[in-house]
Amino acid sequence: MNALVLNGLVAAPVVMAAMAMLVGRRGRAGVGVAAFGGLVVLAWSVWAVVVSTTALDGSHVDVAWVEAVGIRWHLGLDGISAPLVLMSTVVFACALIALVRNAPEGGGTTALAVLLLVIEAGVLGSFLALDLVLFFAFFEVALIPMWFVIDRWGDAHGPRGEALRRRAATRFLVFTVLGSALMLVGFVLVRAEAGTFDIVEIAASYQPSGATALAAAVLVALGLAVKTPLWPLHIWLPDAHSKAPTVGSVVLAAVLLKLGTYGFLRFWLPVVDPGWEWLQPVVAGLAVVGIVYAALACLAQTDLKRLIAYSSVGHMGFVVLAATTFTLGGVQAAVYASVAHGIITGLLFFLVGAVKDRYGTGDLGRLRALYGQVPRLGGLVAFAAMASLGLPGLAGFWGEMLAIRSAVFPDGSLPRETFVLLAVIAAFGVILASAYFLAMIRSAFQSGETGAAPPEPVVRGDVTAWEWLTWSPLVAATLVFGVAPGLLLTPVAEATVAFLGGLR
Amino acid sequence: MSWVVLTMLVVPFAAAVTTLFFGHRADVAARGIAVGGSFTTLALASVVAAAHLGDAEPLAEVYVATASTLPPIELAVYVDPLSAVLLILVGVVAFLVQVYSLGYLAGDPRYPSYAALVSIFTGAMVAVVVADDLWVLLVGWELMGACSYFLISHHWELAEARSGAVKAFLMTRTADLGLLFAILVLGERFDSYRISTVMAAVTDQALPRDELWLPAVLVAIAVMGKSAQFPFHTWLPDAMPGPTPISALIHAATMVAAGVFLVARVYPLFLSAPVALTLLALTAAVTMFISALYALVTDDLKRVLAWSTVSQLAYMFGALAVGAWPAAVLLLLAHGAFKALLFLSAGSVVHAVGGSTSMTEMGGLRTKLPDTFATMTIGFAALAGVAPLVGFFAKDAVIAGALEGAQHGRLVWPWVAWLLLVSMVLTALLTVAYSLRAWLLVFFGSVDEADERDVHESPPSMRVPLYLLAVPTVLGGLVVADPAALFGPAYDVELFHVAESIVMTLLVAVAAVVVLLVWRARGRAMWPRVVLPHPPIDRVYELAIVRPVRWLAQLVRAGDRDVIDGYADGAGASARGIGGLLRLAQTGNVQTYLVVVVVGAAAVAVLAGAVA
Repeated sequence: MNALVLNGLVAAPVVMAAMAMLVGRRGRAGVGVAAFGGLVVLAWSVWAVVVSTTALDGSHVDVAWVEAVGIRWHLGLDGISAPLVLMSTVVFACALIALVRNAPEGGGTTALAVLLLVIEAGVLGSFLALDLVLFFAFFEVALIPMWFVIDRWGDAHGPRGEALRRRAATRFLVFTVLGSALMLVGFVLVRAEAGTFDIVEIAASYQPSGATALAAAVLVALGLAVKTPLWPLHIWLPDAHSKAPTVGSVVLAAVLLKLGTYGFLRFWLPVVDPGWEWLQPVVAGLAVVGIVYAALACLAQTDLKRLIAYSSVGHMGFVVLAATTFTLGGVQAAVYASVAHGIITGLLFFLVGAVKDRYGTGDLGRLRALYGQVPRLGGLVAFAAMASLGLPGLAGFWGEMLAIRSAVFPDGSLPRETFVLLAVIAAFGVILASAYFLAMIRSAFQSGETGAAPPEPVVRGDVTAWEWLTWSPLVAATLVFGVAPGLLLTPVAEATVAFLGGLR
Repeated sequence: MSWVVLTMLVVPFAAAVTTLFFGHRADVAARGIAVGGSFTTLALASVVAAAHLGDAEPLAEVYVATASTLPPIELAVYVDPLSAVLLILVGVVAFLVQVYSLGYLAGDPRYPSYAALVSIFTGAMVAVVVADDLWVLLVGWELMGACSYFLISHHWELAEARSGAVKAFLMTRTADLGLLFAILVLGERFDSYRISTVMAAVTDQALPRDELWLPAVLVAIAVMGKSAQFPFHTWLPDAMPGPTPISALIHAATMVAAGVFLVARVYPLFLSAPVALTLLALTAAVTMFISALYALVTDDLKRVLAWSTVSQLAYMFGALAVGAWPAAVLLLLAHGAFKALLFLSAGSVVHAVGGSTSMTEMGGLRTKLPDTFATMTIGFAALAGVAPLVGFFAKDAVIAGALEGAQHGRLVWPWVAWLLLVSMVLTALLTVAYSLRAWLLVFFGSVDEADERDVHESPPSMRVPLYLLAVPTVLGGLVVADPAALFGPAYDVELFHVAESIVMTLLVAVAAVVVLLVWRARGRAMWPRVVLPHPPIDRVYELAIVRPVRWLAQLVRAGDRDVIDGYADGAGASARGIGGLLRLAQTGNVQTYLVVVVVGAAAVAVLAGAVA
C-alpha cells in the first residue's frame, strides 16, 4: 500500500471542499460538487480498504512531522479502522447527498457542505493516525467545524431558540476541547513512560506500570470518556445532537462519537494494564450506569431528537463495556456496535429530521398518529427503532450481544463477578431500550382515537425519491450486517490479534 | 436437500420484501405474492418434512461459519422428525392463514404490510424449527416477537391494540434474556453453539444430575415468557385486539408453539437438569388451572380461546416435565390443528356479526352460519377432548404420561407429578365446561338484536380453510396407531391407554351433562364470575416495575436538567473566555474559520512539543 492511498484519503475531502468552495461562489452548484466529493471519498476509502491488509503490516505512511519532539505523520489502515472508515464515508456521502435537496434553514448550504467535508477529513485522519499526537490533531480538526455547524445551522425554534442553540454549540466545544486537553496531557505522560508517540510500538512493547502510567491511562480515559461520551460526562450530547441541523446530528452521532470509541480501542487499551485493580471495572461500571441512565432518560423525553440523542449514550455504554473486558470478543463487539450504531442512529436522525421538516416540531406531545399520514416514513422509523433496540437479525444485535458475552467472560485478571453483574444490568438496559422506542412509536406514530387530530404538516407527502436514495444505503447496511456478522468480525479479529497480541 | 432447506428459509423473507415493494401499487400483486409465497413455503416444507419423518437420517448442514469468534457462529440447519412435523404444521397453518386473510382483510389498506409481516413471521418460525445454531434460533425467536408486536398493533387506533402489542413485546423480550444468557453459558461450556453438538455432548458425557441447572432454568424462563406461562401468562389474552387470523397463527403454529418446540428440541438438557423440569411442572400445574378458570368466566370469545391456549400449552409443558416427550409433541400438533380451526372459525363469527368479539352479542348463530357452526363444533369438541377427535388422543397420552410419572417417574419428585396429574384432570373438566359454554353462547339461544342484524356466512376464502383444518382435527388421532412412523423408532411408545381414556371420557361426559343442566336452568347467565376479569399479577407488575421505572425516568430527567446541567454551566462559565475568543473569530466567512482551525492545530502541536 503506498502513500498516495492513505494521504489521498485524508486529502481528498479537503480538495473536494476547496473545489466546492470555489464553485460555490456562483450559486448552489457547490453543494452538488460537495455531494460528488462525498462519493469520491467513499470510492477512495473503498479502494484504500481493498488494497490494505487486515493486519498492520508495516506498509503504512510514516515520516517525521515535528521532529524535535518525535511526532510523526504516521498513517495506517487495518481491520479495526477499516470498518469505521467505510461506515464514516458512507454516512458522510449520504449526508452530503441529502443536503442537495434538503437544505437546512440559515442559508449558505455550500458552506455547510464544505464544513462537513473538512470534518470528514479530520475524522478519516483520526481513524488512520497511528501517532498519539497526530490522532489528537485530527481529532481537533473534526471538532471545531462542528461548532460552527451547530452554531449557525442549528435549530433556533422555540423560545430562546437562538440562545439555546448557541449554548449547545458552546457546551459541545468546551466539553470536547477540555476533554482533548486531558487526553493530550495523558498522551504526553505516555510518551514520558514509553518513550514514543508511536502507538504500534507502544502496543507491541509498552508495559504500563507505576503511578505515572496509571495517571496517563486515567487522563486518556477521561478525554475519551468526554468524547464517547461516558456517564456523567455526557451532558453536552443531548443538547448538541438535538440542536444541530439534521446532517449535523447524523454526523455527530454516527461518526464523531466513534472517534471516542475508536480511541478507547486503539489508544487506550495499549496503555492499560489489565491487572490494575479498579480502573477497568470503574470505567465499565460508568458505561453500564450510562446504559441504564440513558434508557431512563429516554423514557422521560418529550422531544424526538433528544430521545435519539440520549439513546446514543446507552449504545456507547455497550461499546465501552466491551472494550474494558480486554478480550478479543470485546474488541470485536466494540467495533461491531460502533459500526452498527453509526448506521442505525444515522438513519434514525435522518428519519426524525424528516419528521421535523414535515411537521415543524419534534415534540412527542404534539405528534400523533403519523402512521396514518406518512406510513412509509413511519415504517422506516419502526424498522430503525427495531434495529436500534437490538432485534436479532438486524445490525444492532451482534455488537450488543458480543458486548454482553465479553462481559460475562472477561479477561482472567479482571474481577469476573463484577463484570457478570454488569452484563446482567446491561442486558436489562436492552429491555428498557425496547420500552422507550415502543413508547415513542406509540405516542408519535400510533394513537389517534382520543380526539386530538394529528398536527398539520408544514410539508406534505410521504418519503420522497431523494430521501429513499439517501437512506437506502443505511437500510441495506442494517440488514446486511444483521444477517452476516462474519463480514465484520473476521477482519476485526485478525487486526486485533496483530495489533494487541495475546487477547483471549 | 440442503438447498431445499435454504430456499425454504429464504422464500418467506423474499416474499415479504416483494410484497412491501410492489404490494402498494396493485392489490392483486400483494395478494398473489402473499399466497404464492406461503404456498411455496408449504410445498418446500412438505418436501423437506417427507424426507425426514420416521427413521430417516437427520439432515445436518452448515452453510456459513464465522470462524473468528470462539465458538463460531454458524448458519447451520438440522432437520429431524421433530423439525419435520413442525414444518408441516407451520407450513399448513401459515398458508391457510394467508388464504383466509384474503377474505378477512378484504379492502384493508394496510393489507400489504400485514401480508409481509405474516410472511416474515412464517420465515422466522421456520428458522427456529430448522436451526441448528443457537444464534440462528434466537434470531427467529425474537423476530417472531417483533412480528407479533407489529401484527397485534395492526389496528393501532385502538388503545387496547397498542398496549397489548407493547405488553407482548416487552414481556416476551424480558424472558428472552434467559435464552440469551443460556446460549452464552452453553457455548462456553461445550465450546459450540450447535444444538446437535451440545445435545450430543450432554447425552454422552453423563453429567452429574443438575450440573447444567443454570442454562436449563434460563431456557425454561425464556419459554415460559414465549408460551405465556405463569407469571408471564397475561400478555397472550391481551394480544387479542390483533386481527383474528394472526391470533390463529400465533396460537397454533408460531410464537407460543416455539416455546414448547424449544423444550422438545433441547430435551437432553432438561433431562440432565430435573430442577428445571420441576420448575416447568409447577408452573404448568398452576398455569393450566388458573387460565382455565379465566376461560370459564370471560365473555369475550377470543379471550376464551386465548386463555384456553395458555391452558393447553401448560398441558404440553406438564407432559414434557414428566418425560412424556411424544405425548407433548402430539398435543402440540393436535392443538395446532384445532386451535387454528377454532380461531379461524371465531374470525368467521366475528366477521359475520360485524366485528364484535363479545359473546353477549352473539347467540343463535347455528342456522345463520352453518359452515362455521359445523367446523367450530369440531374444534370445540377436540379442545374438550371428545373421542375420537385428535384432542382426545393427545390429552389421553399426556394424562397417561403424568400418571406414569407420578407412579414410577424419576425426573421430578412424585408429589410434583401427582400435583400435575390432579391439575390436569381438574383442568380437563374445566376445559369441557368453558368449551361448551362458549359453544352454547355463540350458536344457541338467541339474542334479540342478533336476529335483526344482517348476519351472513363468510366468503369461500374463509370457509375453505375451516374445512381443511377440520380434516386433521378429526383424523389426527390415527397417529397414535404408529407413532414411530412420525418420530422414528426411538419413540415407539404406546400413546393410547384404554383405562385412562375410558375414565377421562366418563369424566368429560359428566362435566358436559352438568354444564347442559346449568344451561337449561339458568340460560345465558350460566355461572357467576369467580375470578377477577384481569389477573392480579398485572397489578403487581404495574406497582413493582412500571411505576418505579417511570418515577426513576422522571428523576433522571430532572437530574440531567438541574444537577448535571449545573456543573456543565459552571464549566461553561469558566470557559467563557475560550468561547468569547471563538466568537471573535466568527466573522462570517468560512475561510477565516479554516485559518483558525489550521492555526489552532499548529499551536496545539507546538504546545505538545513544549510540554514534552
